[in-house]
Amino acid sequence: MMTIWTLYRREMGSIFVSPVAYLVMAACSLIQGFSFALHLDHLNAQQETRISALQANLGFFFWLLLLGQIPLLTMRTFSEEYKMGTIEMLLTAPVREWELVLAKYFGVLTFFLLLWTPVIINLLFLYAFSGDHVPVPWPQTGLCYLMLLLIGMFYLAIGVLMSSMTRNQIVAAVLAFVVVLSLFLLSLLPLSPWFGGDREFQLWLMNFSTLQHMWNFSNGIFDSRPVVLYLSLTLYVLFVNERLLVARRHTS
Amino acid sequence: MIKVKNLTKSYSGFRAVQDISFEVNRGEIVGFLGPNGAGKTTTMRVLAAYLPPTDGDVRVAGFDVVKDTLQVRRRIGYMPENVPLYHDMRVDEFLRFRARLKGTASRKIRERVETVKGLCDLKEVERKIIGTLSKGYRQRVGLADAMVHDPEMLILDEPTIGLDPKQIIAVRELIKSLGEHHTILLSTHILSEVEMICNRVIIINRGRIEASDSPDNLKKVVRGGGALLLELRAAAATVIEKFEALTDVDDAELVKVQPDDPAWCRIQVFAKPGCDLRDTIFAVVRKEGWDLREMSRTRATLEEAFVEIIQD
Repeated sequence: MMTIWTLYRREMGSIFVSPVAYLVMAACSLIQGFSFALHLDHLNAQQETRISALQANLGFFFWLLLLGQIPLLTMRTFSEEYKMGTIEMLLTAPVREWELVLAKYFGVLTFFLLLWTPVIINLLFLYAFSGDHVPVPWPQTGLCYLMLLLIGMFYLAIGVLMSSMTRNQIVAAVLAFVVVLSLFLLSLLPLSPWFGGDREFQLWLMNFSTLQHMWNFSNGIFDSRPVVLYLSLTLYVLFVNERLLVARRHTS
Repeated sequence: MIKVKNLTKSYSGFRAVQDISFEVNRGEIVGFLGPNGAGKTTTMRVLAAYLPPTDGDVRVAGFDVVKDTLQVRRRIGYMPENVPLYHDMRVDEFLRFRARLKGTASRKIRERVETVKGLCDLKEVERKIIGTLSKGYRQRVGLADAMVHDPEMLILDEPTIGLDPKQIIAVRELIKSLGEHHTILLSTHILSEVEMICNRVIIINRGRIEASDSPDNLKKVVRGGGALLLELRAAAATVIEKFEALTDVDDAELVKVQPDDPAWCRIQVFAKPGCDLRDTIFAVVRKEGWDLREMSRTRATLEEAFVEIIQD
C-alpha cells in the first residue's frame, strides 16, 4: 500500500509539474462551459423538462471531450518511462508490477475526475441563481456522474495499456484513441436505425451500448449490469497490463 | 553475497550470456570487464532482478532473483547504465522519493538522504531540477540513489563514464571508501580504474567468462608478467645468444642499437611465466664483463592482459 501511495504521489507530481496539465484543464472547462451555456439557451428558449436539460449536456461535445481526453491523459504513463529508461530504475526497486500499474492508473483517474468538476460547479451556479425555477435533478446528476466514472475507468485503463505497449507517446495516443473510439462507435451500432439484424439480438446488444447506459443513468434508471460490466472490464484490462509488463521483462 | 551458477540469458534467439558461473564474496570489490556487447549489462540486469535469467541459478544475499525478487531488490543498490532519472524532479525530492520507494523507514529518510548527499557531494545542487544538471552531477545523483536505502551490495554499471578527470578521481575514492562496508560489483571500460579499485577482476567476452582473478595475477599471464630492458656495451647477437641459453628466459630481442653510440645496444628479455630474471641476468652480465648502464623492469599492464585474454 505504501509503495502505491509513493508512486501515486510521484505520478500526480509529474502530471501537475507540466504546463500541459493546466492547458488541458483550461480547454476542458472551456468546452464544458460552452456546452453549458448552449444548454442554458435551450432552457430559456423552449419548454424543456429538467431531465432533458441535463441530457442536453450529454450531446456531441460531451462525447468528443470524453473520447479526446483519454489519449491525452494516458499517453505518457508508461511510454515516457520506457523512453527515458526510468522503468529500469522503478522495477529494480522493490516494486511489484501491479503496484506500478495501479499507481499510474489511479493517477490518471484522479486527473480525469478533476477535469469533470467544472460541470458540477456549473450546475451549482444554475441552482444558486435560478432558485426554484429550474430544480436541479440531483439523483439523475449523481447517476450520470457515476456512469461517467465507470466509462472513464474502462477507457482510461485501455489508454494506460496502450501506453505500456510502446515507447512512443504519439503511437500510444493514436492507439488509445482508435481503440476507444472504435469501442464507442461499435456500441452505437444497435441504436442505429439502419440496424438490420434480428430484433432480439438488437435488444441483447443494447446491453453493451455505452450511449444507452448513459441515457438510462441520466434518466435516473439505475442498473447494476453496466456497473458490473465496466468494473470487470477495467479490472481485466489492468490485469492484462500487469501481465504485459512482466512479459516485457522476459523478452526485452 | 552473489552466487551465479550456469547463468544463460537469451533474448529472441540471441544468447547474450552463455552458461557463466561466478561468485562475489562479502566485502569484495569486483570489476566486471569486457568489450562492448560482451554481456556485462545483461549480467548486471539479471543480478539486479530486472531481467529474469533464461536458465541457471542466480542468488544474491542468499535469495533467488526470480522467486524472492523483492528481497533481492531491497538488499542491492543498482545504478543502471546511462543513469535514468526523472528530469522534472528536484534532487532532494527525487532522493526522498527513491528512499521511500525502497522501503526506508520514514523517520530515517531525512538522515539517509543527508548522508548520501554528503557522500556524493550534492549539497550545493539539492534544490536544483535534475533536468538542468550536468552529466557529472546526474551521475552522482544516480550513485546517491543506489546508496540511499543503505544496501548491503552495490551494482554499478559504468559509474565513471562521462565524468571529467577530477570527478572520476572523486568517484573512485568514494567507491573505494564504500568498499570498506559494502560489497561492490562494477563494470567499466577503464582498465586503470579496475587496477586501482578492485580486489578482483572478471573478464567477460562474447557472453562467456574468460578470466577471474586479481589484477596482479592477471598481469602475470602476459609474457611472464614483465620483461627486463637492458642497455649494454657488447655485440647484440652474442648477448641475445647468451640470454636465450638461460632456462628461465623465454625470449630475448634487440630493441635498437643506439645510433649516436653504436657500441651500445638495448635488449629486451622476456621471462617464462612466474620467473624473476633480475638476478640471473645480472650474474651473466657480470660474468661476461659487459658494461651495463641501464636495467629496468617493464611491467605488463592490465591492458595487455586484457587484450591477450580477449583475443584467445
